[in-house]
Amino acid sequence: MTLALLAAAPKGPLDTWSPTLLALFALLLPLIALLIVLAFTIDSRRVSAWIAVIFTLAAAVCTFLVVAIEVAHPLHLERPATFLQFFTGQSGGAAEFTLQWGVLSDPLAAELSFAVALISLLVQIYALAFMRREDGVVRFFGVLLFATFAMLGVTFSTNYFEMLLFFGLVTLSTYLMIGHWWQREEAVAAASRAFIISALGDIALLAAVAYIYFRFNELNFQALSGHYTGGRVSANGLFIMAILVFIAAAAKSAQFPLHLWLVGSAQAPAPAAALIHSAGSAVCGVYLIARAYGLFYASPRGLALLAIAGGLTAVLGVLWALFQENLKRAIAYTTMSELGLMVLALGIGAYGASVFELFTHAWPKALLFLAAGVIIRELRTERLPEMGGLWQRMRFTGVLMLIAVAAGAGIPPFSTFWSKDTILSKALELGSPLAIAVITAVTFLGAMALVRIFALVFTGETARRRRFEPDRIRDAGGRIAFTMAVLAIASLISGIRGFRGRTDPIAFVTFPGVSLPNSHFVAAGVIAASAVLGAVVAFVVYARRVPVPAALQPVRQAMGEGFFIDRAYRLAAVGIVLPVSRAAAWVETRVVDGGLDLVGDSIEFAGQPRRWLGEFRIRPLLIGFFAGVVVLGTLAIVLAGGIIGKTG
Amino acid sequence: MTLLEAIPTTTATPITLPTLLLSAMIWVPALGAIGLLFFPTRTEVQRERARSFAIGTAALVLAFGVFMWYGFRDQSGTFAYEETRSWLRGVGSSYHLGVDGVSMPLLLLSSILFVVAVLASSRLREQAKEYFTLLLLLETGVNGVFASLDYLLFFLFWQLQAVPMFLLIARFGGPRRLSAAWKFLAVDLAASALLLLAILILYFKAPVRTFDISTLHDLAVPAATATLISWLFFIAFAVRLPAFPFHTWFIDAQGEASAPTALILGGILVKLGGYGIIRVNLGEFQDAFHRISGAVVVIAIVTVLWSAIAALAQDDLRRLVGYVVMSHMGLVLLAAASAAPVAINGAVLLMVADGLTAALLVLMAAAIVERAGTTSIRAMGGMAAHMGRGALFWILAALAAIGFPGLASFIGQFMIVVGAYPSQRIATWVAVLGILVLAGVMILTVQRIFFGATPERPGRLRDLGTLELFNAAALTTFIVLLGVLPAILMDSINFSVLSLLSRGSG
Repeated sequence: MTLALLAAAPKGPLDTWSPTLLALFALLLPLIALLIVLAFTIDSRRVSAWIAVIFTLAAAVCTFLVVAIEVAHPLHLERPATFLQFFTGQSGGAAEFTLQWGVLSDPLAAELSFAVALISLLVQIYALAFMRREDGVVRFFGVLLFATFAMLGVTFSTNYFEMLLFFGLVTLSTYLMIGHWWQREEAVAAASRAFIISALGDIALLAAVAYIYFRFNELNFQALSGHYTGGRVSANGLFIMAILVFIAAAAKSAQFPLHLWLVGSAQAPAPAAALIHSAGSAVCGVYLIARAYGLFYASPRGLALLAIAGGLTAVLGVLWALFQENLKRAIAYTTMSELGLMVLALGIGAYGASVFELFTHAWPKALLFLAAGVIIRELRTERLPEMGGLWQRMRFTGVLMLIAVAAGAGIPPFSTFWSKDTILSKALELGSPLAIAVITAVTFLGAMALVRIFALVFTGETARRRRFEPDRIRDAGGRIAFTMAVLAIASLISGIRGFRGRTDPIAFVTFPGVSLPNSHFVAAGVIAASAVLGAVVAFVVYARRVPVPAALQPVRQAMGEGFFIDRAYRLAAVGIVLPVSRAAAWVETRVVDGGLDLVGDSIEFAGQPRRWLGEFRIRPLLIGFFAGVVVLGTLAIVLAGGIIGKTG
Repeated sequence: MTLLEAIPTTTATPITLPTLLLSAMIWVPALGAIGLLFFPTRTEVQRERARSFAIGTAALVLAFGVFMWYGFRDQSGTFAYEETRSWLRGVGSSYHLGVDGVSMPLLLLSSILFVVAVLASSRLREQAKEYFTLLLLLETGVNGVFASLDYLLFFLFWQLQAVPMFLLIARFGGPRRLSAAWKFLAVDLAASALLLLAILILYFKAPVRTFDISTLHDLAVPAATATLISWLFFIAFAVRLPAFPFHTWFIDAQGEASAPTALILGGILVKLGGYGIIRVNLGEFQDAFHRISGAVVVIAIVTVLWSAIAALAQDDLRRLVGYVVMSHMGLVLLAAASAAPVAINGAVLLMVADGLTAALLVLMAAAIVERAGTTSIRAMGGMAAHMGRGALFWILAALAAIGFPGLASFIGQFMIVVGAYPSQRIATWVAVLGILVLAGVMILTVQRIFFGATPERPGRLRDLGTLELFNAAALTTFIVLLGVLPAILMDSINFSVLSLLSRGSG
């Protein structure tokens, strides 16, 4: 409604900088809060936490205003504004080489930045209560602020260099969030893995930037979008750029086979995991592809790469999710499949629909993780087989979880139904049977995976465990309940469309040349049917705890272990990296250093200098040294200056 | 840029006081070193006084450096604070000093690092006076090389570093310090011999009898001679850099030297190698250097890759720091081989950034090793429980070392990769791979030192002390400042790099 009112407002002249300035505020507010916390309030948990919340609230308001202005004034100039010049100089050729940091506010940036700021705010309010009894609360809020800053920086980036810069910051923030409980070996291992995979992506982006600059002498997104199709670079060159950018995106957005870190990110505290999966590093890869879409759009093979990798990721993710025994890991795999779906959508040209899915998916996913946090805290276990029967004891959480599951599964009229519907519409329009099949199957299986989680947690009987009193289970309340309720409302309404022009969320973010997606009734019907069917099947099967047939046991084990990908990684590390480094160490000490060691050792072996050096006093030596310098210098000046001076 | 334009400037005229600043930066440490010899050090108070005098001397040099930096403006394309005095006129040498945008940031880095090194040596009891004398002598040698515009002077200052460094390692290091010190001395003297040889060949082949750097460039001598000279200069500098396969002296010295010595060695001494390649090989023998650039590129990428792989297998924390520095210097070498302005700009910035980063790494590594009681990374673990601040600064230093955005070396590495790519494509890819491996090593090292299971430790270990904290905070400030506002250096660097490249080729 608010959006509609804003759209109806008179469209007077609007300074081009005002959304830009708001975006700048939104970006800097978390950073300022972080600096305040570090400088002044690091010893006070309460004050630090509240400073974080208040500044993030202000940032969320700023991003909301940016969205409102973008909606109300579709014609305002979307120009990047530069605030900081890192470097300006000649590159040797005719072109000037500049590195700058600025802010670009356009509909794409506005939409994601709003999701980032709002989810970060909610997550922090949740953490106020959730982390109360934990160690390192100030550190946690500081890291959340840092992550918010990094993500907002990614969304407002004007050029590849800036994107790379903030991608690095996102990598670090993810590392710090996952490794929050640093005393736990698994958490630290997961954090390191996330860092290394993410850094691999960042370095691929660095290579992409080098290559793009080499070819186009330009790094600005908007200026570049016109260059790709200009024929300056061959199709192969464009494809290489697309591959590099895709690797960067895949490492962040967990595309197969770079998905392992996302599953490990379940080691983060629940609020941090919610942020990572809904509006954190998991989505900024998809955002990068959307931002650099001109590149993929100019390279048909690049689009095909997106479609294939995205489809594969979506299918594998949802299959793995179905067989996970750990609550947070199961949710994490559903994120992976949703991310795959978004990349697939970008690959088949459903640009607006994919960005819309990014937006609608964020709310239920954040809600799922926050609810999981409450459930795990009350049950003191993360294993699904040990859960059950919570519907009686945690009714409120159960209802909200049901909304999140419905919204994530794509059951009408909840949020992702609308975006999945438009993605499928595009696939139908293309007439690609494979894409249609994948999208339908992922919707069906995704609904199954989510409802399975719900059924295993809330139906049946609570498994009896030692030293655990089911009667002491408390439902969510206070701030935790409030944030979850807000997310549930967002999960309900964020998909609603139907206004004209930019107030229609799908028409809000567009890419020149890509036709606006239309909703087909067929698509809506297929999505609704497969989601509902999947939900019903899963509920029937899992609420009754139907045991896995013996024939499927090996499949289950393989899936539960993530197709042994983890083991393959470890094998590669142990089988390749370790021997190589050991061999290098051997060569280093025996071959490269051998000759030199001979020198050092032989002098040492001579014995005499060793004893002498062990006992000598430096002072007489120094006095001798200075005296020698003075004598030699005088001699040099007198003799050389005098004698050679005459001859020369 | 605007930031620099706001700074009040003084134009350097040959006779006024600012001209003497450069000489002061070189000779004040030497005078301080001589003065220090007359301090009695029998009691604790007297030792403290001597130490204060050393700190004061280093701080005075830093003050000169900052003053020079404020007045520094390099718009004429030639050198600032130029000073020419007649000296050995008969052989064609003169006391010719000057700085440009390439040497000025490094000179400033040197004066900062020497203050940090002197401060970090506070706990030395025995022979403290001699130690500070050597350190100040070393500063004379380092600053002298950065300021020299005459080959003879350049060589003398270069040579002045060997003995103090040797004594510092041999007298104040770890258990295997003697072997490391002899190795350093042997390698460094051999490299200096090549340097002298190159200078002498150049001197005798040139049409004019002069040692002036800007007069003697590769057009002044036959092409074959120029190539030979370029090779000799390159090897002499590459040994110092340290480039593969001449790097083991450096790793050994890093592993054995005391923390302040290792800080100077990794922070500024090896930068002289990079500076020499940019100033002499690239600035004066560009055509000849271009002819050998194929070999240089190979050495550069082997250096980057080798240091990363060797770091993977390295268990000694202090030696690991050595490999990190080596990897960055390999990138500098890659930039030099590409001879692209953007890459050279990045190389100069990376050298400054890496100097600061290496200093922080060395100090933190020393603090960690001291508390853990072992240099073995695998034997550590869970140190974050004992030293939270140490963990914070080590993580910062590790991130700075892998070129993390917002920290100093990021923009340097970025510009090297982007600038070198057009002329050295495959090499750049390989170098990027090396950066990735190093990033993995550093993050796993953080994990191994600070997190996870804690081995049994007697009682609680002390966190960083005030002085350690001060040094670390000061270095971090510079690292962050350069990462966020590199423009404060970049504009003058850029101008000088362009004029250096055009002078060399024209």
